[in-house]
Amino acid sequence: MNERSRAEEDLRVIRNLMERATIYRAISAPTALVGGLLAVGTSVAFWLVDRSRAADAMTPDGRWFATIWLVVLALVLAVNALFVRQEARRGGRPFLSSGAKLALRAIAPCLLVPAAATIWFFRNPDPIDAEVLVSIWIAFYGLALLATALFAPRSLAVLGWAFLLSSLLVVFWPKPLGFDPRGMFPDFAMGATFGLYHLLYAACIWSRRRPKERGNSATE
Amino acid sequence: MPDFEKLDKAIHEKGRLAIMTLLASRVRWSFQDLKAELKMSDGNLVSHLRTLHKLGFVAVTKAVLDRPQTTYALTSKGRSAFTKYLEVLEQIVRAGKA
Repeated sequence: MNERSRAEEDLRVIRNLMERATIYRAISAPTALVGGLLAVGTSVAFWLVDRSRAADAMTPDGRWFATIWLVVLALVLAVNALFVRQEARRGGRPFLSSGAKLALRAIAPCLLVPAAATIWFFRNPDPIDAEVLVSIWIAFYGLALLATALFAPRSLAVLGWAFLLSSLLVVFWPKPLGFDPRGMFPDFAMGATFGLYHLLYAACIWSRRRPKERGNSATE
Repeated sequence: MPDFEKLDKAIHEKGRLAIMTLLASRVRWSFQDLKAELKMSDGNLVSHLRTLHKLGFVAVTKAVLDRPQTTYALTSKGRSAFTKYLEVLEQIVRAGKA
């Protein structure tokens, strides 16, 4: 091996090590599992409640639907904070590691629009169009995940794309194919994306996980 | 013409190069994280870190959180030596292409 090849090899090793060290997974497997289970549970609960209503009953206002999902979001954020704190303590790292701060800076702008849209829907006297609200939540959540793609593992970017493309599906789903007189489509969309996608993501991470990552997942 | 003789021998050793690279990528590393990332034995890692510390490339901080923990960070001298090391490597690659 000549000097140039040796130097190139050294630089390649350095680059690989640095990339590995700077990768940050904004959603840990335990958080995805808890979030996924809560979302699927909520979606099923909505479906069961809907089944118990009279066939000709009116679809309830989307405020009820949105409020429940915001409670689920708050629960998942609280659980995530607990997991991050636990991992930070175990590794002797600060609660907000450098990777977490970087991820928050990337994600925050993408959450402004869904937050504003949610507030607007609640303040507007008209009934909330849950279908539009859900497509905004799914789309911008996908964008938030993709905003971390530069320093995130590939699985997280794939999850981001899955959310983004699903939001388009929600918007452009042909109505004749999705006959939905009881207005359950937004609920199914939430269950499928925030529920099943997160469960699939958690399963993928756990199945691929190497032993060395086991104690190193939620923070860095 | 740049060559491998100009590279810092302390950093050029494979294990120490890996340690310096990781320390350059984050502000601070705990011993356990370094060990997990590099898959080195305790003795090997301690020996390399001691060498780098003696050269003034690595700062060591001992703290007691839930349990005693030692963390490592690059000093400005270490960062500058690592940057210089990378520059020499790049020069070698460029010279080889010319």
